[in-house]
Amino acid sequence: MNKFREGGWHILLLLICLVLLLPVVFMISNSFKTLQDSYHSMLQIIPLHPTFSNYTTLGRQIDLLRLIWNTFFMAAIVTLGKLITGLFAAYAFKYFSFKGKKWIYLIFVSTIFVPFTVIMIPNYLVISKINLLNTAPGVALPQMCDATGIMLFLKAMDKIPKSLIESLKIDGISSHMILKDIIIPILRPSIISIGAIFFINSWNEYVWPTLILKDKSSFTLPLALQNYISSEGGTNFPLAMALSTIMIIVPLFIYLIFQRYILNSISNSGLK
Amino acid sequence: MGSEIALELKKVTKKFKGTNVISEMDLKIKNGEFLVLLGPSGCGKSTTLRMMAGLEKPSDGQIMIAGKDSQKISSVERNIAMVFQDYALYPNMTVYQNLEYALKIHKVEKEERKRRLEKILETLNLAAYRDRLPGQLSGGQKQRVALGRGMAKKSSIFLLDEPLSNIDVQLREKARDEIQNLHEKNQQTIVYVTHDQLEAMALGDRIAIINEGKIQMIDTPDNIYNHPANLFVAQFVGTPQMNILEVNYQKEMLTLNERPLFFNTEHLKNMELSEGNLYLGIRPEHIIVKRKQEISLELPARVDQVIDYGRYQQLTLNIGKRQTIKAIITNNEFKNDDLVYVLLSEKRALFFDHASKKNVDA
Amino acid sequence: MNSSGSKNKFLTIAYLSPTAVILLVFMVIPILYTLYLSFFDWNLISPTKNFVGLENYTSIFTDSVNRKVLLNTIVYILLLLILNFIIPYFISLIVKFFINKMKNSYKIIFFIPSLFSLVVGAMLFSWIMNPISGPVAFLMRHFGVALPNWTNSSAMAIVMLCLITNWKVFGYNFVLLLTGLGSIPQNIIDATKIDSIPRWKMVRDIVLPLNKSIAFYVLILTIVQGLQYVFTPISVITQGGPYYGSSNIFYHTYLNAFVLYKTGNASALAVITFLVFLILLYLEMKFVEGRMGNCE
Repeated sequence: MNKFREGGWHILLLLICLVLLLPVVFMISNSFKTLQDSYHSMLQIIPLHPTFSNYTTLGRQIDLLRLIWNTFFMAAIVTLGKLITGLFAAYAFKYFSFKGKKWIYLIFVSTIFVPFTVIMIPNYLVISKINLLNTAPGVALPQMCDATGIMLFLKAMDKIPKSLIESLKIDGISSHMILKDIIIPILRPSIISIGAIFFINSWNEYVWPTLILKDKSSFTLPLALQNYISSEGGTNFPLAMALSTIMIIVPLFIYLIFQRYILNSISNSGLK
Repeated sequence: MGSEIALELKKVTKKFKGTNVISEMDLKIKNGEFLVLLGPSGCGKSTTLRMMAGLEKPSDGQIMIAGKDSQKISSVERNIAMVFQDYALYPNMTVYQNLEYALKIHKVEKEERKRRLEKILETLNLAAYRDRLPGQLSGGQKQRVALGRGMAKKSSIFLLDEPLSNIDVQLREKARDEIQNLHEKNQQTIVYVTHDQLEAMALGDRIAIINEGKIQMIDTPDNIYNHPANLFVAQFVGTPQMNILEVNYQKEMLTLNERPLFFNTEHLKNMELSEGNLYLGIRPEHIIVKRKQEISLELPARVDQVIDYGRYQQLTLNIGKRQTIKAIITNNEFKNDDLVYVLLSEKRALFFDHASKKNVDA
Repeated sequence: MNSSGSKNKFLTIAYLSPTAVILLVFMVIPILYTLYLSFFDWNLISPTKNFVGLENYTSIFTDSVNRKVLLNTIVYILLLLILNFIIPYFISLIVKFFINKMKNSYKIIFFIPSLFSLVVGAMLFSWIMNPISGPVAFLMRHFGVALPNWTNSSAMAIVMLCLITNWKVFGYNFVLLLTGLGSIPQNIIDATKIDSIPRWKMVRDIVLPLNKSIAFYVLILTIVQGLQYVFTPISVITQGGPYYGSSNIFYHTYLNAFVLYKTGNASALAVITFLVFLILLYLEMKFVEGRMGNCE
């Protein structure tokens, strides 16, 4: 009786898996089909006449290496920036006491909820004023800190016994040394997983880069992909899917390696 | 006859990841009995209790509740109450709601609920806290609410999982007495898990000593203490531990390190010991310590350590060959490095087989 | 003592300053500047700004397009709450309490779409739901039904755009909610089993009340992030059409600022959004007490 009911739930859950994953499976499969096949045998998962032509066409139309480099470079700057500022801030919140700490923390954390429209116009003006339009630093600079990161680092630091840090302080070890030689090595798994999350988010980012990156040579992958989607119909889907497939390889690969850590960090971000 | 057994385990085995946590355990608990499961942590006593509660399924064997296979009856029919170690009170409900919740779900009449709960609140001295949330209660109060929640169900079997371990030491004895009083009043069948032997001795009609997934001995507190079935039980129960000495029995003479201890006495003959090595166990309080040797059987020893507990003294005595024994005495007259003579009370000595470690008298 | 005190003060400032400077320059000052801009008529480029007082604000509530966009935003919020909050919550309850096997596998699989860009999601859905050449239309044709051109209908477009964000956010919210459920002590769940409480009643009476703080966090996140997430598929697929029918307050702000160059209107819309979010933030702080916990 109970077994039977559990079976019913599994059917529902497997169905959800299918709905979530099938689009991606079809995307990869269609990226290896000709335009004709993608229409006439669209539900065929193994292509009838497998072809790389979409990828070679993409290679002719756009500078793929440059796109990948632009995306990677931007994501790398953002990730590094967020990790450094986050670690420093979390360190200060965790191990130093100062006036107004609670309020400063509250303000930092509230920024998670600030809608981007309320800051986009002035930020755009600033970036254009300092001549960073069409550059990766221009995209990266305003998002160099992330309160989620601070929260996650604080949570990770909970696992380091306070007495350990206190005993180091008593031994006269400087704060920088403690951070460099004790905290960062202990937190390495958290740093990697939090960094992975930052990197994936930045790799996929669309809204802010569309404002800053207007010149095609500065485009990142999501912007290039958007150029292949026509709202009027007539999108060449196999081509768009080939570009998407290239785009998802990196996040998928990172997830494959760090899946457990990433899910742990996501879980932590929700907990008090 | 069968109805006298409230709960029975038949060859119950529980495996976790391939290793046996409980192996082929047999156990019968009579109606109205207070049984304590006692053992070191990780011995499987909590797992046993959780299987009785139906929270875990045995990998093999059967658990019978009032003669019925517990796997085949619903949890309502099982009619078991349980108090968890950290009480597991519903944090979002007041004391009264905690007690009332299960009754409400099982459609006990409102008037009846009220009647039952008022009585329980009264008995447990909780009436003043009825509208508090668990977070606003002390450990002892939470424990009483947890007890009350079990009582409210009027269950036939009450399971308690180390209910006193989270209470301050000062209050523990009082809480223990409360549980005892309740049992005397209601004569409910109780299975009580603890690792505290004093608690076990004070509460249990019978105590089951569990180690490595097996019942080592199940008997009254008196028998457990005075007639332990094997070396494990002998050493596990009693503080300081029972002294265990490896001795040799040959030609009606018992020797320790080739010195005679007892020989040719009635008592020894009655034991019908087999010749060879065996273990002698003697409790610290059954050792007599003297300044002067009166008979040649008294062992010379040196006092290594004296701990004064006020009411009594605990001596650590070096009897040579790096062997020490502990003795409890009440006259405060020895100091470190005193040379003394030790007499083991022969009638109190226990003997354990060298190979099986079982009490030869059992 | 004194010197170490001032040294600590210096170090604190040193560690906090990178975050503080970036937040000040790219968050605090911009918010104030947006507020300032909302009182002017400007086109983002011209050297002069005309002070117009509250005109930009009054136009939000009088202009019919603006009113339509605000209404759409409410529809979006309701839909997002169902798709990205209630459904994942229900599923996380199922996975936590109603099944025993494969719990972790579902978690790993559900999360996968969260790894992908919403642009990819938008592309995929515009293929799947393409009224002419998409697989859904293809299958429906087999049964003699035609898939309507949903980009022409405001209601259908909004549903589709929400589904795209649902595809991306479902697993993420699921993981958050499942973690919350996981932090309810097992003993309390066991106690309900001992008391023979039926599982749905246990969920209603024990689990939901105990999990309400994380649930509320995800609920706020669903509204705040959801509306921003919808921006991408709107921009990629409908550009707010048909005739602002699928636009929401975020997209409309963007449109005013960077396409129509009505900076003042855009700023006023942004300020209104900000105020709504301040209210939500306040509720969050109030509800989810202890979020401060881990910094003393």
